[in-house]
Amino acid sequence: MLKVINLETTYNDIILALKGVSLEVPPNRIVTVLGANGAGKTTTINTISGIRKTLDLAIEDGSIEFEGQVINEREPHQVVSMGILQVPEGRRVFAELTVDENIIIGSYTLQSRSHYLRNRESVLGYFPILKERGSQLAGYLSGGEQQMLVIARALMPEPKLIMMDEPSLGIAPLVVKEIFQIIDRINREKHVAMLLVEQNANVALSIAHHGYIMENGRVVMEGPSEVLKEDRDIKEFYLGLSEMGAKKSFRDVKHYKRRKRWLS
Amino acid sequence: MEKIIEILINGLSTGAIYALLALGFVLIFKSTGIINFAQGELAMVGAFVCYSFAMLMNLPYILAVLIALVIGALLGSVVDLLFFRRMVGEPMFSTIMVTVGLASIVTCISGIIWGHDVHSIQSPFTDKTVAMGNLVISQGTLYTIGLSIVLIILFILFFNRSLLGIAMKGTAEDPDTAGLMGVNVKKVHMLAWAIGTMVAVLAGIFLAEQSFVRLSMSHTGIKAMAAAILGGMESIGGAILGGVIIGVVEGLAANYLSGMELGDFHFGDIKDVAAFAIMIIVLMIRPHGIFGKEKVERV
Ligand SMILES: Nc1ncnc2c1ncn2[C@@H]1O[C@H](COP(=O)(O)OP(=O)(O)O)[C@@H](O)[C@H]1O
Ligand SMILES: [Mg+2]
Repeated sequence: MLKVINLETTYNDIILALKGVSLEVPPNRIVTVLGANGAGKTTTINTISGIRKTLDLAIEDGSIEFEGQVINEREPHQVVSMGILQVPEGRRVFAELTVDENIIIGSYTLQSRSHYLRNRESVLGYFPILKERGSQLAGYLSGGEQQMLVIARALMPEPKLIMMDEPSLGIAPLVVKEIFQIIDRINREKHVAMLLVEQNANVALSIAHHGYIMENGRVVMEGPSEVLKEDRDIKEFYLGLSEMGAKKSFRDVKHYKRRKRWLS
Repeated sequence: MEKIIEILINGLSTGAIYALLALGFVLIFKSTGIINFAQGELAMVGAFVCYSFAMLMNLPYILAVLIALVIGALLGSVVDLLFFRRMVGEPMFSTIMVTVGLASIVTCISGIIWGHDVHSIQSPFTDKTVAMGNLVISQGTLYTIGLSIVLIILFILFFNRSLLGIAMKGTAEDPDTAGLMGVNVKKVHMLAWAIGTMVAVLAGIFLAEQSFVRLSMSHTGIKAMAAAILGGMESIGGAILGGVIIGVVEGLAANYLSGMELGDFHFGDIKDVAAFAIMIIVLMIRPHGIFGKEKVERV
């Protein structure tokens, strides 16, 4: 469904952020992209979403295809109308608007009121807490509720693909678990494909079907989740981090990087 | 007692003009981040356009007003396309200078087209009054206040009830995220310029109703800016309240201070600085304006 082929992008015409990224999201699947801070995960999905001008981000090479069409040059609102919705990093609710208004903006491309009401009913079924918060300012919700709101907002126009940027970031572990269960349910019940960007490999691999590991603007490894979960390096570097909460020593990290470079 | 009510009503109608100008100003600022120093000039152009159609071509007044509003909306869109579309996100300093430049260009072109003379528009309300007991109010004043109230209610409904209005609020807060929700941000910016110019044009027409059509009427723009800042630059309610306060205080100052003199100083002249005096005092007490608030913090 989504195919990114050899994507190269720069910021401000000089900083090469993506150095040839290829990845694919098949219909109905959850595909995760894992990687440390600065690996290029956000850049990848912003490029797909078409937010380039305001970030001074440009595609130098490669292509992005969605359902057979090349969408390199599309504006953000055109990408949305193709059925690709992004849930941006850091939650980005419209803090000064109410919860209801946030959800209304999510339905912007629907344009029909009855359609909006129907979708709202079905979307809020996943997030009953948001129903109670309808008239509150979104800025005053808790982190977990805000994350639910931005997911609900992105679901409103019945997307074919949702790209989520680190939905677990800065949220209490128990709530993370709840949110990921909901993401999993949405994927199965609404047949929405997901491109799930995460640093929390543990929780991401628990619901993803397939995964990519990014480092320094490149994909250094990919495979089915089951395989990635068993991979020794990933276990040590990513899963180890989140399972035991203990930071691996710098040498382990270097070992990982060395091996990955050698692999790619 | 009648006297004070009369002063208040007249002040209210001047205030309505400031409020409309301030409202357009806040709308453009909130949506595009651009502080438009040409707001008064756009109002002036609107008054001249209305004058041309109503007085030179002898069209019915209402028709001339409607044409002026449509031309205002087009003018705003063109201004956005030509100057500001490519300037979104540029430093505020440069965008301000562009609007200042725009103001002089508009004045210059208007001078070439309409000359530097003083004109007036003959409306159905001109020189007519309504008497209520001992109270005598000009119809033009009531027309200004009434139409402003209707327009303001429409605005509030638009921004709180309509999909486009809510999307505009969201775009004002976070354009990138609005784009990610499918909002065509460029279209919203253009719409803000179109609506902002349209209300400026209406303000210009009201101003012509109360006095004259001339190039210097654009100076009202600065007072409207004071009104907007007074209200906090963020909210439509603030702009309206700021406008009304300044209009009413000006009216009071003009009436009660005129005639008082101290040597060569005429207290009545305070009227012209009243707007700024109030703005300064309020900002000293509330740096974010009456309705201004610090940003809602993300939890
Ligand atoms: N707006 C920007 N301007 C310049 N460089 C940027 C910008 N955003 C990100 N980068 C750089 O691009 C690289 C990838 O960043 P990003 O995509 O945000 O990584 P991730 O989401 O994986 O943490 C980093 O080196 C970062 O410094
Ligand atoms: Mg990121």
